[in-house]
Amino acid sequence: MKTIIVGFGFIGRDLVRVINEKRDIIKKYDQDFKLVGVSNSKGYIYNEEGLDLEKLLKIKALSEYRINYKANGSSLELIQKSNVNLMVEATPTRIQDGEPGLSYIKKALSKGIHVVTPNKGPLVVAFQELSALAKKNNCEFLFEATVAGAVPIFSLVRECLQGDKVKRISGILNGTTNYILSKMHFEETSFELALKEAQERKISEKDPSYDVDGIDAACKVVILANALMNRNAKFEDVERLGIRGITQDAVSLAKRANYAIKLVGTVDKKLEVAPKLVPINHPLCVHGTLNAVHIETDLANEITMIGYGAGKETISAVFNDVLTVLKKAKAAAKDN
Amino acid sequence: MKYDITLALADRPGQLVKALEPIAKNGGNIISIVHEREKHVEGFVPVSLVVDFSSKANLKKTIEDLIAIDVVIIKSEEIIETTRVTLILIGKIDLKRLIEAKFENTRISGLEVSTPSSKEACIKLDLEVPTDNVEWVLDQLKRMSKEEDVILISSI
Repeated sequence: MKTIIVGFGFIGRDLVRVINEKRDIIKKYDQDFKLVGVSNSKGYIYNEEGLDLEKLLKIKALSEYRINYKANGSSLELIQKSNVNLMVEATPTRIQDGEPGLSYIKKALSKGIHVVTPNKGPLVVAFQELSALAKKNNCEFLFEATVAGAVPIFSLVRECLQGDKVKRISGILNGTTNYILSKMHFEETSFELALKEAQERKISEKDPSYDVDGIDAACKVVILANALMNRNAKFEDVERLGIRGITQDAVSLAKRANYAIKLVGTVDKKLEVAPKLVPINHPLCVHGTLNAVHIETDLANEITMIGYGAGKETISAVFNDVLTVLKKAKAAAKDN
Repeated sequence: MKYDITLALADRPGQLVKALEPIAKNGGNIISIVHEREKHVEGFVPVSLVVDFSSKANLKKTIEDLIAIDVVIIKSEEIIETTRVTLILIGKIDLKRLIEAKFENTRISGLEVSTPSSKEACIKLDLEVPTDNVEWVLDQLKRMSKEEDVILISSI
């Protein structure tokens, strides 16, 4: 299978590293797997015979690859001209319009190219449209890393709960806010101090609004609602309240009553992201940068999954999606 | 709907069966029955029942039928199942408005006010809310909080 990576940031680079390190696993499903193209906003590298992964891992800018590099070549051009089977789309998330990832995914699916993405933007803006496009063109469209990073929530429901109806989902879906609230809970610091420390440790961006105002968690609520409960939810449908107003007094009062305050995303009749009191013995009550997703289904009743939601662990979900595509393609080839 | 009914039955054989007949006839499902022999008073024994009726009308008819056969009814009241709801409110909280809101069958069972270390006041509230009304009461409280610019944190 020929593959391209669109977006050569943290995840794109890390995927190259993992592909290089775990060649043996890939070969179990596909002897002929090749990474043939990589692009970013400045240009792309393309070689139908396959790229030199060791070389790719050493360079800082794609232009340093020299041969096969096309300066100012667009990702859309790469998708259009390359004769590939799989695209990993890993451009930065923009939730306002899902771009540029949305256009790349649409283009790839229209061409019958399987898509794996950790990018929330396109899914928040056009989940149903992209799913329909994938179905129409008989493509896999996998996005495990978009919600709760390395926690395999979509794979679990898809593979292990095939006969279950998901009735309700709640979760701690943002590691940054969980880190801040955990600091306030255990170290009795103020919100401002906890945020400052999160920023110093690069857990939070300089502009923390995406996390602390619940925007990131709301995106994940939309994706969960659409992907697991077949809704047609939009970002605006989520009632959203962040954690800026949470005081140390509130955290202490909660703690004395055996609760922790957590930013919880909920998919029920309503979609909501809000600070909630979580009993300290509840499985959702995880601390630090951990994420947790609690699903309620008609047959399995309640299941909780806990894991890291952002950072280096996310690559686990992206790589597993890639392997899933290879595995399914191998099974389909066998059937034919 | 569950009802707590206490009858005073004459301490003679056959009185309990006689009293149960109207309950069964009107579709009452007896969940528990306690014959309180130790509370025997002047030839009468209190019998406490918890009965599930499909409607208030069935209970009313049962009461009428019991009175018609001279059974004395000491008490008959609906049992309202309640859920404990804990909330934290942050901001300039109008406690008077909150207390005067008087949501039906809801009572405040606990109130803790923090010693404020920040500008914002903060209270923890424990409510006993009829289980069927929890969502409605929370919606009303959310609406009030929004109007007062207060942050409401409810439990999951």
